[in-house]
Amino acid sequence: MTAISYPLVERTLANGLRVIVSEDHAAPNVAVNLWVGVGSRHESPGRTGFAHLFEHLMFQGSRNVKSGEHFSALMDEGARLNATTWFDRTNYFETVPTGALELALWLEADRHGHLLDAVTQENLDNQRDVVKEEKRQRYDNVPYGTALIDIYATVFPEDHPYHHPTIGSMEDLDAATLDDVHDFFRAHYAPNNTVLTLVGDITPEEGFAAAEKYFGPLAAIPLQNRPRHAQLPPMDGPVRVDRVGDVPNDRLYVAFRLPVDTTPDYLACQVAVDVLGGLASSRLMHRLVRTDETAVAVGGWTMGLVDGVGLGAFTVDVSSGADADEVEQALCEEISRFIAEGPDEAELESVIADTERSWLSALASIEERADHISHHALLTGDPDYVNTFVDRLRQVGADDARAAAAAWLDPGSRAVVRYLSDSSGRGEEGEAA
Amino acid sequence: MTDVARPVVAPPAPWDFPVAQTHDLPNGLRLLTYDVPGQYVLSLRLGLPISLRDEPREREGVATIMARSLDEGTERWSAEEFARLLERKGVSFGAGMADSGLSLDLDVVKGNLEPALDLLRQILTEPAFPQTEVARQVRTRLAEIDQERAVPSARAGLEFVRTFYAAQDRSSRPTGGSRDTVAQITRDDVTQFHADHVVAAGVTMVVAGDLAGLDVPALVDSALGGWSSGGRERDRHLDRPATLAADRSRIVLVSRPGSVQTELVVGAPGPDRSVEGGWAPYPVLGFVLGGSPTARIDAVLREEKGYTYGIRSSFRPRRAGGLFLTSGSVRSDSTPESLHLLVEILGSGSEGFSDKEIRSGVDFISKTAPGRYATADAIADEAVSMALDGRTTEFVTSNLRDLRTVDAARVDAAYARFAERAGIGAGPRPGAGWTIALVGDAEAHLDAISALGLGDVTVVRDEHA
Repeated sequence: MTAISYPLVERTLANGLRVIVSEDHAAPNVAVNLWVGVGSRHESPGRTGFAHLFEHLMFQGSRNVKSGEHFSALMDEGARLNATTWFDRTNYFETVPTGALELALWLEADRHGHLLDAVTQENLDNQRDVVKEEKRQRYDNVPYGTALIDIYATVFPEDHPYHHPTIGSMEDLDAATLDDVHDFFRAHYAPNNTVLTLVGDITPEEGFAAAEKYFGPLAAIPLQNRPRHAQLPPMDGPVRVDRVGDVPNDRLYVAFRLPVDTTPDYLACQVAVDVLGGLASSRLMHRLVRTDETAVAVGGWTMGLVDGVGLGAFTVDVSSGADADEVEQALCEEISRFIAEGPDEAELESVIADTERSWLSALASIEERADHISHHALLTGDPDYVNTFVDRLRQVGADDARAAAAAWLDPGSRAVVRYLSDSSGRGEEGEAA
Repeated sequence: MTDVARPVVAPPAPWDFPVAQTHDLPNGLRLLTYDVPGQYVLSLRLGLPISLRDEPREREGVATIMARSLDEGTERWSAEEFARLLERKGVSFGAGMADSGLSLDLDVVKGNLEPALDLLRQILTEPAFPQTEVARQVRTRLAEIDQERAVPSARAGLEFVRTFYAAQDRSSRPTGGSRDTVAQITRDDVTQFHADHVVAAGVTMVVAGDLAGLDVPALVDSALGGWSSGGRERDRHLDRPATLAADRSRIVLVSRPGSVQTELVVGAPGPDRSVEGGWAPYPVLGFVLGGSPTARIDAVLREEKGYTYGIRSSFRPRRAGGLFLTSGSVRSDSTPESLHLLVEILGSGSEGFSDKEIRSGVDFISKTAPGRYATADAIADEAVSMALDGRTTEFVTSNLRDLRTVDAARVDAAYARFAERAGIGAGPRPGAGWTIALVGDAEAHLDAISALGLGDVTVVRDEHA
């Protein structure tokens, strides 16, 4: 057992920017990480994919920065940088040599404060095309590439903010206008909707002073965030979607609504999902892969979200010649058995040891550490979660995991998305409740 | 509101790769340790100089099946018991074959190093290769072959090596074996391959992380000192270059009717790290041509045209000879124009590079080094990769020093040397020297691609599974 105790010092600037500094002088680098409280869950109907398209525009110039200069100026100083968009947030990050920290903050403040001075129709049109290619590459042109999109649409109600994927639809990307860009920036991009984390070769006082110097002049905005949705209950009956087409083998995704991220019930579900499908020595591995030999691979994962629901799923790659219906039935039997019995001591010990190593590996790099700190500062209000996560998981007892599985992983509330090879001679693509 | 003045950047201090302590065990195992304070997960890597050419032709893939079966049961434990033993100690383990040899990766929190080493000992010296587990790994690999055929980037890669390397060379075929050969692999094949090749002679082991308070050499000696040397000497690296196909300069188009994108791989023979004139200019070349969103390729194909999410180029050195590879995907209806532009840009090196471009490449590669090698796993990965290349990580440091002296003249000369050896720009055909593999809608694009005059175009149609 390794004690995790990364130092964290936090200060909020007068304009509402939350700044967190974690000092670590092991390398002459600083990880700069900004999380903005806007993601695809804030998108309006007819504008899916917009938060992500907007993120691309953040690299196309701002008041004092030319198009593309954000990348080139930072890379010339030895920065590794990018940005990502997800349901609940958008993040912007660079790891820089210590001497380039102030340049990074200057560039970030320029675009986070003054993007609209530089946005053009030409840039919007170009990045719209680039994002469409990103969608084709990641989702449309690979086998099973649209499975997650199907899962979100099946598990979350139609009017729920997680019903549509962050990548959006081609039609909505086409519909995006320059006015949308202006409205979106003014509604969401401001210091009081942002967390700035600095991890690395810097003291807290140096970090706060630099943040104040570059971000202090930015003005707060009136935020009009609605309250988060109330917790969604589990689905009230099994739902399934079958996609029959050109995939190498049948694959099942069996998904469930979960509690929101970091709650004790969410963590208990995480333990249950790991024991059932996440560990190398999981129950589904034992049953489907090693004993029945009806699957070549199994997996189990959870996705922590904040707006009234989380997501958990098991994935199964069905062996050639095995029957997908029977595999699904066996999977449900294993879940039911877990709900009846709960995990044993060795299983709990495995989850903790495996999680501890993977969590420490994640925190080993300053960029990933900064990202987790920003995440929890922005979305759960508790950046110290990086230090306490493993201990919290350790507190999940066998009965907690069993009870959480009974409440949230009941096979009667599952959503099943199946990608079936059309060579197996099944019927037409369709949805059935 | 007044804008804050743009700050001036203080240049970083020169940086050296961490220095290893070396310990040679009598059985031929060489241990390299890197103490990296604050890295609480230790990264262990082993590099075994085992060649894919050691596989029997009709059993290709046996090294991969053997690697994946190493932790699937030992003399004392069943596969499931062993998986649980690893997991209860928080050990992640993996093994895989590559052109440079067999690599084993093991990560574990510092406090569990000793039990992890005993588990590693069992993996290396006491694997049981149970029949059911070998058969399962064979089935899994066969399913993986189907996946590789279905994923455009993987499919393009397979077609590239098939076109680029001579048919009799092992490199022309999948590292993990093909359907016909993998289906033949038996437990006896795996057991024999392990007995013949997984021996300590010539093996390099790396342990990186926060080593304070640990006597790593003593722990490793205690765990692995009894590992058989195999009764022979073995070089720490493989040396034989691959043979290229005589007709490698051509275009192969894998047909995917209705595909919304075209996947492309464009490659040519490149240098290895011992190249005359030094290795340092080549990563700079790769960066300037296709290493970033501001590189020559994406400046046109992404930022100007919007045809791609991004295309990347890099030099991939092997121990003897290497590759220059460019890959990515483009919108289907832009395929002929994208290919034309791509070949033009890749050939544009012959017109030289600007000082500004070279400065950017040199600065990015040299100034990112301390951060790129800040974690235990990155250090261990680099160390084992250098060992299998017949080098030590002192090469990383000396190369970074040399990199600071790289200017446009050296890069121009490096490009010219590469282009001459690859046959790029030889004769009137603009595609000369390049091997091009495409996965896309052949019906829609074949005529236009042929009309580019880059070279002969062959269409390949996969049978439906």
